[in-house]
Order: sequence, then structure tokens, then C-alpha cells
Amino acid sequence: MIDFNHISCPLSKDLLYSLNPMATLSLPVAGDQNTNAFLHEAAAAKFDFHSVSVKAAGDEQLKLAVGGAVTRQDASRKMRMLDLPDPDAIRQLAGDIKQHTLDHLDYYLHQLGTNVEKNGGVVHFAKDGAEAKRIILDIATQEDTKRCIKSKSMVSEEIELAHALELAGLDVVETDLGEFIVQISHDKPSHLVQPIVHKDRKSIAKLFAEYFNTPYNDDPQALCQQARIFLRDKFRTSDLGITGGNFLVAETGHVVGVENEGNQRQSVTTPRVMIALVGIEKVIPRMTDLAVMIKLLARSATGQPITIYTNIYGGPRDKGEKDGPEVFHLILMDNGRTEILASEEYRETLRCIRCGACLNACPIYRSIGGHAYGSVYPGPIGALITPLMQGLGEFKDLPHASSLCGACYEACPVKINIPKHLINLRRDIVERKINHPIERFIYRAWAKSLKSPLLYKLNTKLQKLVLRSQAEEHGGWVTKLPSIASGWTTIRDMPQPAAKTFHELWKDR
Amino acid sequence: MIDPSNVLDKVARSLGRTSVLTAPPTPPELPEPLVRLVHTDFGLRELFAKRATELKMLVEPCYTEELPDKLAGFLKANNCRAIGMNVSKLLNGLGLPQSLRDAGLDVKTWDDLTLDSAYDLDAAVTDVTYAVAETGTLVIRTDANHGRSLTLVPKVHVAILQPKNFVPDLLDLMERLVKDGVGSHVTLISGPSKTADIEMNVVIGVHGPLIVKAYILS
Repeated sequence: MIDFNHISCPLSKDLLYSLNPMATLSLPVAGDQNTNAFLHEAAAAKFDFHSVSVKAAGDEQLKLAVGGAVTRQDASRKMRMLDLPDPDAIRQLAGDIKQHTLDHLDYYLHQLGTNVEKNGGVVHFAKDGAEAKRIILDIATQEDTKRCIKSKSMVSEEIELAHALELAGLDVVETDLGEFIVQISHDKPSHLVQPIVHKDRKSIAKLFAEYFNTPYNDDPQALCQQARIFLRDKFRTSDLGITGGNFLVAETGHVVGVENEGNQRQSVTTPRVMIALVGIEKVIPRMTDLAVMIKLLARSATGQPITIYTNIYGGPRDKGEKDGPEVFHLILMDNGRTEILASEEYRETLRCIRCGACLNACPIYRSIGGHAYGSVYPGPIGALITPLMQGLGEFKDLPHASSLCGACYEACPVKINIPKHLINLRRDIVERKINHPIERFIYRAWAKSLKSPLLYKLNTKLQKLVLRSQAEEHGGWVTKLPSIASGWTTIRDMPQPAAKTFHELWKDR
Repeated sequence: MIDPSNVLDKVARSLGRTSVLTAPPTPPELPEPLVRLVHTDFGLRELFAKRATELKMLVEPCYTEELPDKLAGFLKANNCRAIGMNVSKLLNGLGLPQSLRDAGLDVKTWDDLTLDSAYDLDAAVTDVTYAVAETGTLVIRTDANHGRSLTLVPKVHVAILQPKNFVPDLLDLMERLVKDGVGSHVTLISGPSKTADIEMNVVIGVHGPLIVKAYILS
């Protein structure tokens, strides 16, 4: 079993220098000594997709857990999409709506901001994660909040918000069951929708037995009950709620969040202060567009016709309301998104509604799981947006983590052409010369030899000589190629090349 | 003049504009045959009952005059003593607060409750703003008389639905919301709270109600 705590996460680096200066003065939260050590370790290590994915692919237990779960999920998506009169056409429509919004994002963000303010909310724009965290910490300080309940949100994972708040001395509780388990085990989520798809119930039961100091019980019902009781008390005494958002409705100034558990509803019900932290690309123009999106989101994510709860909220509680936030903040975060927006080629990748359908459909994700991608956004969409958001440098291997089979494109509810963009990224890697120098040398040499008949003949003769002599030693099979070509022969052998090249046969005819 | 630190200006610049677009663009049309799943106003209650039952909601058609007895029986059968109710013409008109008190239950309406005291309730009885037949969804717009916590923190939620609540499709719901106003919070409830986080085992009742019951009045 891989120790996932040692897989590096590049996002942590950002954390170390982005904190409120107060952070260094505050004490770590009890029981969290491990978190800090782990963060430093993660920040120090460099992400190496190759070695991590090879390790993950060899982990049979992981393959069984993740592959089994997401394959079932993929099947239920396919079934449920058949409810729709024309699944393909409505995916195109949803893609068109998102594309239209992105093409006019300045207008819709402005409209959204104006309407949120009309609803009594405060709107902030954050250029990156550091700024978003500073805004949130400022609000927490200003409002003097003590206990924060946080519902699941990919954007907050992206900027490692919970850790930042904990380090600043706030009591932060992840309230989604999966995220709660991630939090208390100092792990990382490995799927956009099911954060702990890589964990089995035995390890969760062991974790709970230790954390709550109770007898071991691996019945899912009992585990959920335990978490329910523990978290209910946290909800009741919380004064700051943080949520993400699946959609932002520009027309009315509302945030829309979907969930099954009810913990996000808690964030908009109990705490006095509420903050929604959402990426700028989540806007949709009209309330009626939401009908299209809701019909597609849960079907694509979990094969449900609709999630148990869909929460539409904007602004503080209305006059006379006795619950709900008194103060409402919306933070719209850029964090690399405008750079993608500026590229007409890659702009459509911002359509993503984070349903996870491409992960469930992907043969690569099914065998290596989410952690191997080294980013909070795993799977095909992660292989695409992680390098786009954080640069190709460290993530130059991710665009190759695909067999280009197209299953992701077929699954995507907003029709992002993921395989096409992965190929484009591979092109960028070559054009910007960030691939391996030996690889560049070989392709240059190959191109040269293909252009010159003399070099070509020499080349084939040389290859024949080397490969034939190697094959003769191993009973007629080439079993080991040198250097970077060695990957080819680790799992397959090559038959002995013919005694004569085509050119020689042609001459002898 | 573009200020590079301003996100909105940066967005405009990324789209090749020198300033933020002010002329409203035209979003794509939503073709009804593509988006709409329910094309009729006929049989909405039956469709709602079917869909909601699939989502593990308990649905029961009910005559107005038999509601008080049925409701009291249901609450008692589920060991509910402390009952919260929102302030509503419908529930008062049906005489529910009194009839449940007469049945020996401890009933408080939302004007006598607070957020914190809602946590001590066993069950909540509410009306709804809309009910969506397509998905079997209860829709509640919260306001001074309809607490957010009522339908969230008690273990049991009982909703009383009237014929006028039903809308065919999510598309109709969204149109109604725009027309009638969204307010500060609208919640769509499609069954009891659940999770499948642990090995994809579906467990009912994580943070929200374990039991959601809908009485459909004729």
C-alpha cells in the first residue's frame, strides 16, 4: 500500500508564504502536529508523475477499490443520461451556455457582482489563492469568529484553505463526511466527487476508533452515525460557514450548491457569518440555464436524476428571518483562470462543472487513482487544467497520462474536447522544448535520417545489426532495449528483425 | 485605463477588450424539446409521487379531513414528541397545531422557536412553495415564517403539499423563481439526506433528516 502522505502536492508551497503574518504566532490546533510536518515535506518534494504513477499502478488494492467504484459510477451515469430526450444535444447546449458565458465573462461577472450587492452581500475579487485566504482571514478576524464549518469545495482544496485557517488559529471542521475523513487522517482527496474513493471501510473504521476513542465498528451506517453526532455539535456552535459554489446565477446574484448530505445547507443556515468562495468561471447567465445544468450535473456525477439538496442562496438573511447568515461575502477567485481565458484555444476547458464523469470513464484514472496526478484536480480534466493553471514545468508528464481513447470527451456534460487539448499540450511541450533532451535529440536525428537516403540506409543497417545480435542471444526475441527505449521492452518482447531490409529485398528481386 | 490588479479588468483584457463589456449579450436559446422532460400539466401529483418514492421519500395521498389523525399517528409511530411547524396559512387553516397538541404532542410554531431550539426538535411539519413533478422535489423559499433550520436539523421532516404547489419540470420551477423572486434562500429537497462516501454504500440520514414524508392533499 502506498503511503499517500508522502506524495508531494505542489499546492502546499503556496501555503507557506501566503499566510497571514499572525499565523506564525498562533498555536497549531490540537492533534495536528502531523499536518504541519506533512506540509513541509510535501512542499519540499518535487512532483514526479512517472514514479508515482508506476507505484500506484502496481497497487492492486487501490486498483480494486478505485477502479471498481468508478466503473460502477460510470455505468450508472450512462443509464441515467438516457432519461434525457437527446443526451448528446443537451450536452452540446450546456457546453454552448458555458462557452457563451466565458466569451462574455466580464459582462456576466459585473452583472453578478451588482446583483449580489443588491441582495445585501459583499463581493470580493481575489487574484490568487493567497489573496483569497487573506480576505477570508480578515473577515474571520473582523467578525471575531471562532468555529468554522466548511463544506466540500474544490476551489478551497485548490488553495488549501482549511490548513491556512487552522494555522491561523481557527477551529475548522470539514463537514462533508468524505472530507471530514480526509481531514482527520491528514490525507488528500483523490476524486472530485468522492474524496475518499481510495479508502476502504476498514481503514476508516480504524481511524474513527482512534479519533473518537471508541470500539472498532466497520458498519458504514454506524460510522456515519458517529460522524453525524460529532458534527452536529460543531454545526450548532459554529459562527462562520464557508462554502464553494457549483454555479453563480448572474441574472439574480445567487450562488447555487448541490449536495447529498445536508452539511452545505448547514453552512447557510446556522453560522452568523457566511463566505462563499467560488472560481470566476462558475457563472451562468440565467436562472433557466440552471435547469439545464442541474439535469446534467447529478446525472453525470453520480447517476442521480438530481442531488438530494440544491441550495440557492444570495445575500444575508431577509428581514424577519431567524436563521441564516447576518453577513454574506462572495469571493470570486481568479488564480490562473484568466490566463486560460486569454487563450482562445484552451478557453473551453473552463466550462468544466467538476462532475467527475471523465475520471470515472478514464482507463488511466481507474488504474492509478487520483493521488498520482499530484494535484487536487485528477483524471483527464486534471491532466489538462493542472498544467494550464500551474504551468507545464513540473506537470509536463500529465498530458501524457492518457491513452487518447476519447472516453472522457464522450462523458463530458459540457463537451470539453479533452483528448484534443491533451494533444495540443503535448505539442506545446515540444514547441517550448521542455521535453527530455535525449528525446529531442532522437527525434532530431530521426528526422535527419528520414530526409537523407544514405543516412536512412545506414540507420536501418545499424538497427538490424544491433537488434539481430541481441535477439540471437535471447532465443530469437529482443528483450531489452537501451536507455529511454527500455520502457518498450519492460512489458513486451520484440521479434527478431528480418535478415534483409526492404531496400535489400527490392534490390534482389 | 486598465488596472492589472483588478480581476474584472483582467478578465476583459483576456477576452481582448479594453474595458468591461456593458452591452448585454444574448445567451443561447433553450429549446424546450431538448430541456423539458415533463410536457404536460396532467398527472403531476402521480408523477411526483413516483419520482419522490424512487428517491426514498415517503409519499401518501391524503384527504384534508383525515390529515390531522394520519399525521399525529405518523409522528407518534416515529417517536417524535417535540414538533416544530412553520407559520403558514395552510397549516393553521387545517388546524394542525391544535390537533397535534390535542393528540398529546409538544408543538411549537416558528415564531416561538429559535435557531438553537430547532436542534432539540424531533420533527418539523411544513408547507412548501413548489413541488417539482419531474424529480419529486420539494422546494421551500425561506422567509420570516419559514425557518431554514426547520427542514434541516430535526430527524423527521413532514411536508404538506397542495395541488397548487405542483410544477411539471425544473424548467418551470426556474421560470417561477425568477417571476416570484428568489429571496435570500431557496432550498430544493429531493429525499432524505444521504451519503455514499464509504465504499459507495448508501447510508441514509447523514446531516439532514433521516425521514422525509410528503402528504399530498387532494
